[in-house]
Amino acid sequence: MYKYLLAWRYLRTRYIALASIVSVTLGVATLVIVNSVMAGFKQEMEHRLNGILSDIVFEARTHSGVPDVDAHMAAIREVVGDDLEGITAAVHVPAMVVFRVGDRYLPHHITLIGVDSATYSDVSDFSQYLLHPENREAGADVFSLRPGGWSKRLPKSGWEWREYQSAIAKTMRQQRERLQGRGGQATAHDTTMPPPDPYGAIEAAKPFDPAKDQHDGIILGVAMASIRDRDAEGNVMDYFLVRPGEDIQVSVSTVGMPPEIESDWFTVTDFYESKMSEYDSSFAFVPLSKLQDLRGMVQNGSRAVTSIQLKLKSNSSLISVKQRLLERFPPSSNYPFRIQTWRDMQGPLLAAVQLETTILNLLLFLIIAVAGFGILATFFMIVVEKTRDIGVLKALGAPSRGVMSIFMSYGLSLGAVGSGVGAVLGLIFVRHINKIAQFLEMLTGREVFDPTVYYFLEIPTLVNPIAVVGVVIGAVLIAVVASILPAIRAARLHPVEALRYE
Amino acid sequence: MNSGFRQLTSPIRRRADATPGDTHLRYHYPGENAQAVSAQVQQESTSTVVEPAGIAGRIGAASSNPIQAPSVLSAVDLFKSFHKGKHEVEVLKGVNMSVPLNQFTVILGQSGSGKSTLLHLLGTLDAPDKGEIHFDGARIDNLPSSRREALRNQKFGMIFQFYHLLPELTMLENVLVPRMIGDGMVRYWLNRRKYVERAKDLLNQVGLSHRLKHKPNQLSGGEMQRTAIARALMTNPQLLLADEPTGNLDEKTGRGILEILRTLNAEQSLTIVMVTHDISIADEAHHVVTLTNGQVD
Repeated sequence: MYKYLLAWRYLRTRYIALASIVSVTLGVATLVIVNSVMAGFKQEMEHRLNGILSDIVFEARTHSGVPDVDAHMAAIREVVGDDLEGITAAVHVPAMVVFRVGDRYLPHHITLIGVDSATYSDVSDFSQYLLHPENREAGADVFSLRPGGWSKRLPKSGWEWREYQSAIAKTMRQQRERLQGRGGQATAHDTTMPPPDPYGAIEAAKPFDPAKDQHDGIILGVAMASIRDRDAEGNVMDYFLVRPGEDIQVSVSTVGMPPEIESDWFTVTDFYESKMSEYDSSFAFVPLSKLQDLRGMVQNGSRAVTSIQLKLKSNSSLISVKQRLLERFPPSSNYPFRIQTWRDMQGPLLAAVQLETTILNLLLFLIIAVAGFGILATFFMIVVEKTRDIGVLKALGAPSRGVMSIFMSYGLSLGAVGSGVGAVLGLIFVRHINKIAQFLEMLTGREVFDPTVYYFLEIPTLVNPIAVVGVVIGAVLIAVVASILPAIRAARLHPVEALRYE
Repeated sequence: MNSGFRQLTSPIRRRADATPGDTHLRYHYPGENAQAVSAQVQQESTSTVVEPAGIAGRIGAASSNPIQAPSVLSAVDLFKSFHKGKHEVEVLKGVNMSVPLNQFTVILGQSGSGKSTLLHLLGTLDAPDKGEIHFDGARIDNLPSSRREALRNQKFGMIFQFYHLLPELTMLENVLVPRMIGDGMVRYWLNRRKYVERAKDLLNQVGLSHRLKHKPNQLSGGEMQRTAIARALMTNPQLLLADEPTGNLDEKTGRGILEILRTLNAEQSLTIVMVTHDISIADEAHHVVTLTNGQVD
């Protein structure tokens, strides 16, 4: 009883010891905050990666893709069975897109993805990341240009912008023709809009009118089509190189050997913003059939694809399904696809994030360990200060282990108070992290969380209760371990020497 | 009995658990046959018991000593030395002494004579290099530490020159500390009301019932020493060991403390061993053991 009473009284009266646990408090609070923010980032990133990549991807081993996709999909359906939520085929191909900005042409290397808009949203969150709200709805025809309803982030876009551009082009053309004295019909294609499809006249028997007609749609990653910067007042602004409604030229390699370059015009119908800069700056989506036609992937009526993507049901095990698929389609059997989960595909990135989290945890725990040495030193000081009291307790019959328990209980209670307060502070900080960031921005005039660098508008956080409990237990253990040596010293004090200590 | 032992006391003292009105007075011999002793006491009690008016009267009346009091605590040929750097200082050089039951014994000596060391050895706070200490007929200097701790907690009460109260605790809690040490947490919790009553009663006896919630730094030296006495009595000890309890107090306050000790000895028959260098205190004790250079004179 006296052990706990004394430990409690020491806790309430020895403020120097409380000062020594401030570092434990701060260490725990920092660990809670860092873990929550890292977990928030990780969760957000994984969610987006998974959303874009789907769960399991069959990647063709050849440049030309794999034909007879329906048979392959049927075989896959048979293996995956009830675990299957959705399946789609796609073509992934490196490509080049050229934007015209003023008089200059800006080439951009991209990954062009041909998707089947009917089934692609079954396996991917692709449509959730489109800017136009109507395109995010189920079953929307995302490759058709929409007239209005565009996000306020975008300048004038869609059909409105297309008509406006077309009118300007038409005026300029007429002006030019008048100056050249030709008059009459337009013979040359204007420089602001793409030339009409040379076969269009034959196929459709009507001329291509850019004010009313569009090419096949293309959806560009928002980071590819814009530059995020600040205006003169310091507000974050997106400067768009191209807008929905404009036409761009895309060049891809054909499937023949050696590959040849095939180019075509596409009309930008929307932007795609997953907030994963890697994808937003390199992915562009076009209709699957259009890309297959462009690359020459249609032979004898059979269309080839370069990947098959699977979405599993939420309670399915990714690993076990992958295992079943590998057993059915072993890599050694010359199977034309490479089977990977989304985690396999983003392994290095996920491993890097995990490593970063581990190292941060380790470093921050070292801070608490340093705090442990602070507790050790303070406790030694307190033991010296309390030498006479220890002598008295021993003279009154207190056993050595009882004296030791006083200081161990003291260390335990200090650790519990320090880490408890730290955890509460950390959780409060995490809850209000965005307000705190805003306050710090106001105070310092500098952006804490720069949205031009990160595509998140707010700092994502995720509190993992197990991690918080683990951190608190770890910190308490460190405090207890730090109090062992001083407690042993106290226990070993000779009662007579302790009573005589001055 | 060694030559330095002065017998100054009355032979009849009350049993430790006797009430003031108890007429069944007896010696407490360790291991004695209770019936035989009872018969002996019945025979002697009517002629030898004196009910003195006060402490001074009682001590004064104790000058004649028709019956030799039994020893409750004794030291046999005690040696103890300390190392100070490379030098060995021999503090006790073959001390033999006895503490008679229910009597007020004073160990008198100059500074450095070894009197405090002797008291620490008697109280099992330290172990002799050579020799033996007996309490209640049993050797105690070689007991395992847990038995010695129990002995200090249950059988011995200790008071010190510098009071040694625990500064974080209130007076009441300081008095309760021996019980907290002696009892496990559950047992203490179950008996806490009884213990608190006892502690309050003891503080009341030493005139500190109004200081229960005070901390030591709010009290005077005399009040702290009185609290220390109450603490020493908390577990109903058989023996009170006092290490210069008046040494840090002015004369008047010191007299007050001495008065309390003598009252305890007289009214509750508490055996007291007190170390002092003050010869005037020694004059009022039943027994005096004089130490000079680590030896009994």
